[in-house]
Amino acid sequence: MKVLTFGWEFPPSKNGGLGVACYGLTRELLEAGVEVVFVLPRSQKTLGNAKFLFAEFGELVSVRHTDITLEPYLQSDSKVEVFVGYTPDGRPMYVSRSILEEVHRFAHQASIIAKQEQFDVIHAHDWTSYLAGVAAKKASGKPLILHVHATSFDQAGGMNVDPAVYRIETEAFAFADQVVTVSGYTKNMIIEHHHVPETKVSVVHNGCDTHEPPRLQPTLAELKAQGRKIVLYHGRISIQKGVDYFVKAARRVVDADPTVVFVISGWGDMLQQVIEQVGAMRLSEHVRFAGALWEEERDRMYQSVDLVVMPSVSEPFGLVPLEAMLHGTPSLISKQSGVSEVLTHVLKVDFWDTEEMANQILASLRYPVMRSQLVKEGKQQLAGLSWRSAAEKIKAIYQRLLQYAT
Amino acid sequence: MLTVCPYFHVHQPYRVKRYRVFDIGNDEHYFNDDSQTDLNNRKIVEKVAEKSYRPTNRILKDLLDTHPEFRFNLSFSGTVLDQFEAYAPDVLQSFQELVATGRVEILADTYHHSLAFFYSLPEFERQVNKHRERIESLFGVTPRVFRNTELSYRNDLAKWCEDNGYLGIMAEGWDKYLGWRSPNFLYRPAGCSSIKVLLKNYKLSDDIAFRFGNREWAGWPLQADTYANWIHAHHGDGQTVNLFMDYESFGEHQWEDTGIFNFLRALPETVLRRKDTSFKTATETVQSYDVIGEYDVPDVLTWADTDRDLTAWVGNDIQQDAIAATYRLETDVMATEDMQLIETWRKLQTSDHFYYMCTKWSNDGDVHAYFSPYQSPYDAYIAFMNALSDLQLRVKKATDATVVETVSEVTATPAAVLNGIRVLPEEDSILELLKKLFASVRRKISRVISS
Repeated sequence: MKVLTFGWEFPPSKNGGLGVACYGLTRELLEAGVEVVFVLPRSQKTLGNAKFLFAEFGELVSVRHTDITLEPYLQSDSKVEVFVGYTPDGRPMYVSRSILEEVHRFAHQASIIAKQEQFDVIHAHDWTSYLAGVAAKKASGKPLILHVHATSFDQAGGMNVDPAVYRIETEAFAFADQVVTVSGYTKNMIIEHHHVPETKVSVVHNGCDTHEPPRLQPTLAELKAQGRKIVLYHGRISIQKGVDYFVKAARRVVDADPTVVFVISGWGDMLQQVIEQVGAMRLSEHVRFAGALWEEERDRMYQSVDLVVMPSVSEPFGLVPLEAMLHGTPSLISKQSGVSEVLTHVLKVDFWDTEEMANQILASLRYPVMRSQLVKEGKQQLAGLSWRSAAEKIKAIYQRLLQYAT
Repeated sequence: MLTVCPYFHVHQPYRVKRYRVFDIGNDEHYFNDDSQTDLNNRKIVEKVAEKSYRPTNRILKDLLDTHPEFRFNLSFSGTVLDQFEAYAPDVLQSFQELVATGRVEILADTYHHSLAFFYSLPEFERQVNKHRERIESLFGVTPRVFRNTELSYRNDLAKWCEDNGYLGIMAEGWDKYLGWRSPNFLYRPAGCSSIKVLLKNYKLSDDIAFRFGNREWAGWPLQADTYANWIHAHHGDGQTVNLFMDYESFGEHQWEDTGIFNFLRALPETVLRRKDTSFKTATETVQSYDVIGEYDVPDVLTWADTDRDLTAWVGNDIQQDAIAATYRLETDVMATEDMQLIETWRKLQTSDHFYYMCTKWSNDGDVHAYFSPYQSPYDAYIAFMNALSDLQLRVKKATDATVVETVSEVTATPAAVLNGIRVLPEEDSILELLKKLFASVRRKISRVISS
């Protein structure tokens, strides 16, 4: 069985959950005997590293590149600089294009690739690849699976949904043979908003890697030395992520216990607004902005804090609590997240209920036995949330779609 | 001769409301939720009264009136009796009418449905006494057979019951301790010489309590005739079939639409249909039969889960932390001699609070295996610990106040002494008085320090 996969990013790209999910699924599909051709838009970062990551499966995976450079998480009318070639005197030449143009170019390339490659089924990840998937299906007649990692409704926090993205989603879903969502939360969303028939949607929760990470040198040592408790937000700073609710809860927490420190790690279009909010709420002494942390720096932060909060307004899945747990730190997560469907040993709150969010933050800091149990029992649960079992479900969907194929 | 000894356990806890960290030090009321959720104790009692207590008591009363041989046992927690009195006095009255027939026995229990025996013997004894007094004043009877919270049992509990004059004690008839032997006989607890243990026939008990309405079960739908046949089948290999279950099995755990009420209505008649079969209360049972062997239970045995131990209540770290913190408060709270503080502390000992914090099997996603009014075990723990933290503050305040009071008593004494006395007293007698007062202050201060 051979699958032609379209994706947007691939580790070690730093754009978040999508690439991690594509990597985890691809790795385990290969293990399960599925041949994978992974098509990515051209990107230097992805180009070199993707080959490196697949070195061990070199004979099975070939990474194809189109000539598109895209950043995810952008609105369709965002402009991106695209490298198109060299001037006669050897300087690189860039053209500014909208993401929508890029999505269509990706689709055009997909249709050519689909005619060249031999494969049984098409699998496209995230909205930016949907049109590519549709084009490949039109070119080849092979069954199409669209994998929903997020929707236009998540990105916008429910407001000002991008009509162009929504249209692509709706039309592509209608064209797909099967739609896979990363949670029941997202499944309900596309049934409600995109009118996809329930029978056409399967939930395959994301997995996570469960290797025990190395203990790193702690960070924020001077705060720890003062015996202060540290609460972390880590992620993109955008409406979807609910950082403003986190700041409101912080005010309530600090009123009750001024020794608590809040760290905001991340980058995004709402950063300025959040900084201003922190000032306006007179929280400057209690909130620290750590910038965007990646890799070891991020892991050190996870390991050094007492609690991680994921206050998302709308989160299709949510990797942060899994990563935090792996690093030995418990989480408080919003109920408006897909990951809350699979995690028992986290604290859960409605994102808008900042009073209860503050209560749970304070309680978790007061009662260390609860924090340690959340991690201890949570890690046992993580063991059951593997990419392997996610890939098994995906493989079963391929098989179901192919059962009558000749 | 084969007799059936049913016992129905009646209990409702005082559930802790969503008590937040901000409430600590500001709100002395932990159990007064007035929302539409299942944390609203009044609402729950009113609901269960309507679904279970009232219709079941009507049926039981009819059965007692119709069948002179029909007998059964009830056990009540003090917390449910208090809530009946406050929220559903007619239910309490209907129970009193059942007991007044003389064919319904009440069992001894802890007042607060607590696990005190395993954490504090003095507190356990105080609760058993309080429970006895309450039963005597409400029903005019004195319990003679003991059952402990969640049917928890151990050799030393049986010994305690024997030493305190009980004729019998109830326990789970568990294969691990019975081996090849039948639960349908009386046994002698290991280390005891006179008390008898009545063992729950868990197969027949759970057919009603857990499986009755389960359409997946091979025995569904269970008819009273069939069930009576299963009981009758023990003729020849047993003397007493002990059916122990939650009273709320009737109408609450098993809803009316399962046919549970019709089943109950028909049961005595079908059991009595075979001539040498009858019903006995617990006391009649222990007085009628001799023990046939020893029941040796060195570790705690309960009626819960397939583990039959206390892990549903104190199996994980937060449960152990919460219950340990609760009993650590004992010395201080008792020293306040403040009945309101002591009563609040006891309400927090009710085993249900710890049950709501259970995480057994939650890794398998089987969260519904445990009923809880909270959204998660951690919500339950947070509400409980916050309330307990407030109680700790109140106890500390009361203790501090006692010290201040005593100190001011001491300072006031010379004036009082001078006012009341016309003749100059001997120096020795003044010294003696002051010594006593200082000793009392010392004791109280040392309690404050140790807390």
